[in-house]
Amino acid sequence: MTLQECYTALGGDYEEAIGRLRSDRLVQKFVLKFLADPSYDNLIKSMDAQQYDEAFRAAHTIKGVCQNLSFTKLYQSSSALSEALRSGFTPEAPALAEQVNADYRQTADAIRAFQESC
Amino acid sequence: MSKEQTRKQKILIADDSEMNRSILADMLEIEYEIIEAENGLEAISVLQSCASELSLVLLDIVMPVMDGFEVLTIMNQRNWIEDVPVIMISADRNPSSVERAYNLGITDFISRPFDALIVHRRVVNTILLYAKQKKLVGLVEDQIFEKEQRSNLMIEILSHIVEFRNGESGQHVRNVHTLTDLLLHRLMQKSSRYQLSQMDISIISTASALHDIGKIAVDEAILNKPGRLTDEEFAIMKTHSLIGATMLEDLPFHKDEPLVRVAYEICRWHHERYDGRGYPDGLVGDQIPISAQVVAIADVYDALTSERVYKKAHSHEKALEMILAGQCGTFNPLMLECLTDISDVIQQELHSDNAIQRSRRDLRTITQEIISHNELTASERTLELLEHERIKYNFFASLTKEVQFEYTLTPAMLTLTTWGANRLGLGEIVMDPLNDEHVCSMLKPEFLKQITSALRTSSPKNPVVTQDTTIPIDGEERWFRVIARATWSSDEPPRYMGCIGKAMDVHDSRAQMNSLERQASHDTLTGLLNHAYAKKRILERMGDRPDSKYALVMFDLDHFKSANDTYGHIFGDHVLKHVASKLQNCIRSGDIAARVGGDEFVIFLEYDTPLEHIIQRIFTALCGTYEEFTISISMGVAPTQLVGMDYETLFHAADQALYTVKRGGRGQYRFYDKTMQQTLSAISPIDGCTAETAQTKHEGEEHT
Repeated sequence: MTLQECYTALGGDYEEAIGRLRSDRLVQKFVLKFLADPSYDNLIKSMDAQQYDEAFRAAHTIKGVCQNLSFTKLYQSSSALSEALRSGFTPEAPALAEQVNADYRQTADAIRAFQESC
Repeated sequence: MSKEQTRKQKILIADDSEMNRSILADMLEIEYEIIEAENGLEAISVLQSCASELSLVLLDIVMPVMDGFEVLTIMNQRNWIEDVPVIMISADRNPSSVERAYNLGITDFISRPFDALIVHRRVVNTILLYAKQKKLVGLVEDQIFEKEQRSNLMIEILSHIVEFRNGESGQHVRNVHTLTDLLLHRLMQKSSRYQLSQMDISIISTASALHDIGKIAVDEAILNKPGRLTDEEFAIMKTHSLIGATMLEDLPFHKDEPLVRVAYEICRWHHERYDGRGYPDGLVGDQIPISAQVVAIADVYDALTSERVYKKAHSHEKALEMILAGQCGTFNPLMLECLTDISDVIQQELHSDNAIQRSRRDLRTITQEIISHNELTASERTLELLEHERIKYNFFASLTKEVQFEYTLTPAMLTLTTWGANRLGLGEIVMDPLNDEHVCSMLKPEFLKQITSALRTSSPKNPVVTQDTTIPIDGEERWFRVIARATWSSDEPPRYMGCIGKAMDVHDSRAQMNSLERQASHDTLTGLLNHAYAKKRILERMGDRPDSKYALVMFDLDHFKSANDTYGHIFGDHVLKHVASKLQNCIRSGDIAARVGGDEFVIFLEYDTPLEHIIQRIFTALCGTYEEFTISISMGVAPTQLVGMDYETLFHAADQALYTVKRGGRGQYRFYDKTMQQTLSAISPIDGCTAETAQTKHEGEEHT
């Protein structure tokens, strides 16, 4: 699996990422680092514990990272979730969190597959 | 030697996401040294320790613990924002957040997702811009200083020429300057009616030197006429105020300079009167600028107290009296009050070097004012010196094993040295420490209350306070001595701004003192008090409450010698310990019990129930057996009601009562009465003797 294929699998925009980060090496480095970022675990934990300010920050961080890496799909769902949590809990938050969940798994699966092939 | 001669410039990246930090770091780390902070508090702590070394801060908005806006607020409060440029990075494009960030002093705003090239370019540009600006500020500062000195000199020369022509003493300009300065400072303390800064006061005082420049245009014959001026001559004399003002107004350059504008006011209106009867414009009350009002009164005072061709000098008192009586014009009543208030100071200040010292002090205050008004920032050289001091301070602090701290009121922030923070298990920076859960759980509320009030009631002259308290360290309460110095602002009146100080662990030395004190005051065998210490406590007790009823009880063990003989001395010691412990169990906590001789004990008690009952109870409790040895007690009791409060007499009486029991068959107690006066002593001659010496005494006793 190439990096480009990985981007396709996770619903991201490879060209855009290369355009901004300027090198294949950098993009690859940070894509591989993505799985080590604790924000997703934080998000799940704080949603479960109903600590919505913490959940907001975690969603916001995921959003920022995805934005930098052009992980478009996960960026969109985490962005929507962070807006829903900006001033505490809103009724649409749980459904949006589910979407983030699904997108994160898709992203993580794609990165793992890429990891194994390189 | 490293081939890299110049150190890399430092950039602080504050972002809660490690990914984001490392993306940024990756873009910049070739040219710059990167310091990372994962929340706002960490960022503040980095700034606190090395703001002067940082070339740039890249700041995220949304962060845990402390967000980017709070970081900016503190950077403003501490004036860091003036020296360290901040680029904010955020996905939040909300215009109000962006505006807020710019208002808080950020230099640039980069929105996510960022382009590596743009980030890099903006960072480089910002750093270059700031470096240039810092250099320029340093240059400007030096030039201003030089220019200021030169212009003061020019003003002085100019006003001396005027004075020389007037035939004045040469002191007049200087005296008016000093008086103006003193009056204005007093006025600022007294009233808030006129809003003048230190800078304004300094400008008015300097400009006061020019009040009579218009006299250059007045004929010398009139200026120096010894007798009274004719009406015509006086009319010419009066033109000097308007002429002086016109001269300044007609200056080709600089007429908008504050100094020139103030000098204009002074020249034109220093002969106006508060009641509107002055010249040239007949202004009334506060229509006359405060600068001219002050100089007018200073001018009149100095004219009165100086000798002129047409008059002798008046005394200070006489001059004051004339001014207050309205003989020399009408002045603002508030101004007259100020003059009266500083009456004592005027004389010492006018004829001394104080004026010079004061102007130095003023220069310092003004410099501080300028710095706080963001008009100038400290020069690079100053920052280097500060940095050097900081390194020195941190090094010595780490050697002393003391918790050193700094506390500022605004922002409410506690800063600890690295060593101190580790020792206490706190962060190096604690915001709002008095409401911080962790700090409050470590420091007792009454301690915080006492030391805060002590610091607030200290003064700039005596700012140091000392207070002992316990602080839990690794679960153990340890004694600390806290020495703190309040910091007071240099303006008048001084404001309390916080404190610096240190907390020394005095636990071990305190414990050692306690143990030494215990050793010196207690009998090592039984743990009861020794005689000397018991006596001290008894005297204290009787001194504290001289109206209470007390009794001194003395007892010893009957046939103690036979216990020693039969079972050995170690057994004898056990018996003594056993009796001591029984004794401690049967007396009340306020009573004093001591071992005063081999097998002799003393009890001192306060009573208000019948004494006999108490004695009966103690006596019964003490008797019994220890292993095979039967404990029998002889006891003498001396109540203060009968014997009086003198310790020696009391002790002697109890001794005699005990001796009487001994002679009368032992195994009972007796109260002292007058018939015992001639009896001998039962007590062994040396205090604190061992069982062995006690034995000798009992041998002796058997022969009596």
